This record gives sequence, structure tokens and C-alpha cells, in this order.
Amino acid sequence: MLYERYSSVMYPVCVRYLGREEARDVLQDGFLTVFDKIGTFKGEGSFEGWMRKIFVNASLMHLRKADALRYTEDITESPELGGVMEHGVMEQIGTKEILDLVAQLPSGLRSVFNLFVLDGYSHAEVGAILGITEQSSRSQASRARSLLQEKIKKLYNGKH
Amino acid sequence: MENIEFDKILRDRLEGVTEAAPDVWEGISQGLARRHRRVVMRRFSMAAVAAAAGLAIALLVIRDPRDGKLPETPVRTAHALQQEQPAAETPAVDVLPIQKQIAAFTRNQVTAQAVVEKPADMAVVPPMVSEEETVATAETAETAETPETPAAEEVRDQETQPSQDHLLTEADLPAGFWTAEDEAISRKTHTSNISILSNLTTVGSDNDLIYKASPMHSSSQTGNRASSMVEPYSDSPKFFSPLSLGLQVEIPIVDRLSVSTGLTYSYLVSQYDMLVDKVLYEGAYNQLHYVGIPLTLSYRFVETPHFGFYVSAGAAAEKCVSQRYVFGSNVLHEKVGGLQWSAKAGLGAEYWFVPRFGLYFDPSLVYFFDNSQPFSIRTQQPLQARFEVGLRFKI
Repeated sequence: MLYERYSSVMYPVCVRYLGREEARDVLQDGFLTVFDKIGTFKGEGSFEGWMRKIFVNASLMHLRKADALRYTEDITESPELGGVMEHGVMEQIGTKEILDLVAQLPSGLRSVFNLFVLDGYSHAEVGAILGITEQSSRSQASRARSLLQEKIKKLYNGKH
Repeated sequence: MENIEFDKILRDRLEGVTEAAPDVWEGISQGLARRHRRVVMRRFSMAAVAAAAGLAIALLVIRDPRDGKLPETPVRTAHALQQEQPAAETPAVDVLPIQKQIAAFTRNQVTAQAVVEKPADMAVVPPMVSEEETVATAETAETAETPETPAAEEVRDQETQPSQDHLLTEADLPAGFWTAEDEAISRKTHTSNISILSNLTTVGSDNDLIYKASPMHSSSQTGNRASSMVEPYSDSPKFFSPLSLGLQVEIPIVDRLSVSTGLTYSYLVSQYDMLVDKVLYEGAYNQLHYVGIPLTLSYRFVETPHFGFYVSAGAAAEKCVSQRYVFGSNVLHEKVGGLQWSAKAGLGAEYWFVPRFGLYFDPSLVYFFDNSQPFSIRTQQPLQARFEVGLRFKI
């Protein structure tokens, strides 16, 4: 069954865009859209990739409705934070913890970071999706990366 | 660690990661059931409209006085017969008293044969009779030879006396009855018509709009849609049934074939979440006003004085003369360029109440081409069923 097969794959996608609480609602909406539009899948690319796009869209729509993306484009500066990440740190952090740390980023930065770094969109595409400039997308991705590295280091230092 | 390396490690760690999801299946199944009910209701509504249309046509057919069959010989009305036969030569015509004639009109739904019963001098094809009827007729003839009482003879004379006063004239006919002139008008196939029409177009499916992330994003939102500062942003847009009004002239080309054109006005309303200058407004309205010129060819395959059936096909060009967005307390007007082209094909039925005035019903399928027009039911559901009704005047 489609739901049983893919719910555990799509849930983390929603979590990194929205956090665990809101991911639940979007997971439901996303599956409704999948069932509704499944006839439009033309077999181009993987089915999982097609589904992932639907859940990414559903997550972004949820953020837009909550007005969480409205001020995304206001941030154009990207002060560097945290310095350089040491090798070996990432191996000490669990995947679930990384997922939660990504979800803790501010919503605007989180969306840019997810789209660019994790879902493979170009800055031009991220700009078109979120309605911001390409430069703003670059700046926000950089800022989000620095914030995330800072959080990872804090978690790592807490463990050791 | 370089940024690129960090990104790669992160991507590898989160790629294909799985995590037990909360159970939301119940909510999904309820949502699917709701959508299914909506689709069923919509299909049921369309079927009901089609059934009602079929019933209306059937009723019109049943009510047709001639039941769609024309007499082989020319129809003669009382008026026509009076003109044909000079008063001096008027033979002994069996004419019913006026009250009986009216009653006959009502009972038999008025044909010329019901008005005048077999004039004696007219060459009438004898009706086919059975052997029993022949015997009965012979017996009646024998009875007729027996002498009548004076009183009975007087009554018979009164009933059979040919009199101009008792002949049914046009003035005697109740309103709405067809005269010889009316019959002539109704038989004219090369007659131009003027139609006042109104139509309702069905909204056949959900047509949910998915907000499309890149690279799909905005790929189909081109032309007028691309230049708009408003962007549809909804997974469940609501489209109201488009409404059209118009005035058309139909001109005969050759026998049974005619062309019609005119001016139509269409009003489309949609409700959906939209981004106006990147700000989301939920449940906002979009109103479109189109003015168009249709061109339609019609072929009448059934044509009686009261009734006509035809097939039609054509095209129309429509110009959006006004577009209005209403979101919150704000109103935004946007210009729309280009034309909306469409093609249609359908069946039609017309019923002439009186020779120059009738009603028509014209169900058809319409296809709206993608001409970069604003987001509406026409862009989301290009193939639509249209039900057009109107009044028709012969000129």
C-alpha cells in the first residue's frame, strides 16, 4: 500500500521543512494530493522523486499560509558564524538529531537551505519558488549553513 | 571542513532517511471520502441536467400537434377553403357548429382536417375500411332511406345547412392558432432568425491546482498570467459555473444549412488562494468579463412547422474586457491581452410556439484553446459541456 510504503520516507521531508508538529498535518495533505494526482504521473523520473516534489510543495504552501516566508527576502546579509567545522564531528551526530537541528532553523532560512542543499535546486530556482532574488538565496543558504554548523558544534560539545 | 564537503555529508546523511510517521491514515481516508462524494455529486448533477434536458425535448416532441409528421396533401384551413370556393358554387359541406369546431380544435390539438370535414366536391381518397364497417355502412344507408319525421328533418337541416355564418374564420380561432399565412411562414426554410440566448456551462471536475515548485513552477503560467502580479496559490480552487448572454442572427445559406453570428457576453468567477505581490490572500475572488463573436454553422435534419432539430459546429473569439481581483477589502484591475479562441459542436432543438417566435435548446461541447488567458475554469478544464437556451424570432 502506497501510504505504508512511503509515509516513513516522506515524513522526514516534511519534518525538515516544518518541524514535527506541523509535519503531521502536511503529511496528510500531501498524501491526499498524491492520491488525487496519481494519474498525472507520466513515468518521467522516479515515482519517489515525484512524490517528494508534492510533499515539498505542500510544506512550502503550509509555510506560506502561515506567512512564515513573507520576510524571507529581507535577509540579504550573511554574517559568518561558528567558524570552520572540524572533520569527524558529523560522524558523532545522529541522523535524527541532524533532522531536528535543520527543523530548528528559522523558517525562511530553513526553506532556502532545504531547497538548495538538500533537495538540489539551483539558487535561481529557489529564488523563483520563494519569490526572492538569486543573490538573496545565496546569502540565506550561507547563513543557514553557518547557523546549522553552530548548532551541530554545540550539540557535539555537549556530548563531549 | 569546506562548505561543499559539509553539504555533501549532510545530503548523504539525510538522503533516503526514514522515520516512523504518525498515523494519519484515518484523516487521509476521510479526506478521500469527502472528495469522492464531491465528485459523485457533481457527476450526478450533470446527469440530472442531461436527463432534464432530454425530458424537456421529449415533452416538446409529444406536444407537437402533428407529432412531427406533415400531411402529404397541402393543409387547408377554413379560410383557405372559403377563398377557393365561390359562394354560389358552395356544395353541401358538412360543417360542424362553431362550438363543436372549437371543441374539436382543443381535443385534437388543431389540424386543418379537424376544422372542415370532407367537403363534398373535394377528391378525397376513400379511407380503408374493414368488411364489418362496409356492412354497417350499408345498413346505415338503408336506414337513411326511411322517411324522417318533420321534426327530425328540421333538426337535420339545421345541422347540415351550409352557412357562411357557421364557417370557421380566422377571427373565430382562439389566440395562438395558426392561420394559412402562418403555415406559409412556418414552412419557409430560408428565413433569418434573431436569437436571444443565455447559457450555463458545467464545471465537471475538481481540477485542484497544485502549487508547482520549480522546475514545474510557472512553466504553464505564461503570457497574461506571467505578467500578472497575482499568482494562483491553492490546492482547491473553486470555479462557479460561467454564465453567458447574447444576441445572434441566423442567416440561411442553402436549404437546411444556415450560419449564425452575433455578440455574446460571458461572466466567469473563481475563488482561490492567491499571492498578490507575494502576499497570500485566502479565498480571494477573480472576476472575468468576456465579449465575444461566435460563428456557427447549423444543419437542420428535422424541420416541421412547429419543430426543428439541428446539428451545429463553430468557433468563437472572445476578448476579456475586464478582469478584477477582490481580496480582503482590496480590488485590483488588470488588463488582459490576446483573444480566447474556442470551438464547439452540438445538437439543438427548437420549438415554434407561433410562426415567428420560438424557443430553442442547444446543448454542446466547447473546447477552449490555451491562449494565455487568466487562470479560470477555461484554463483548468478546457473541454466543457454547455447548455444554451434562448428565444428565436423569424424576420
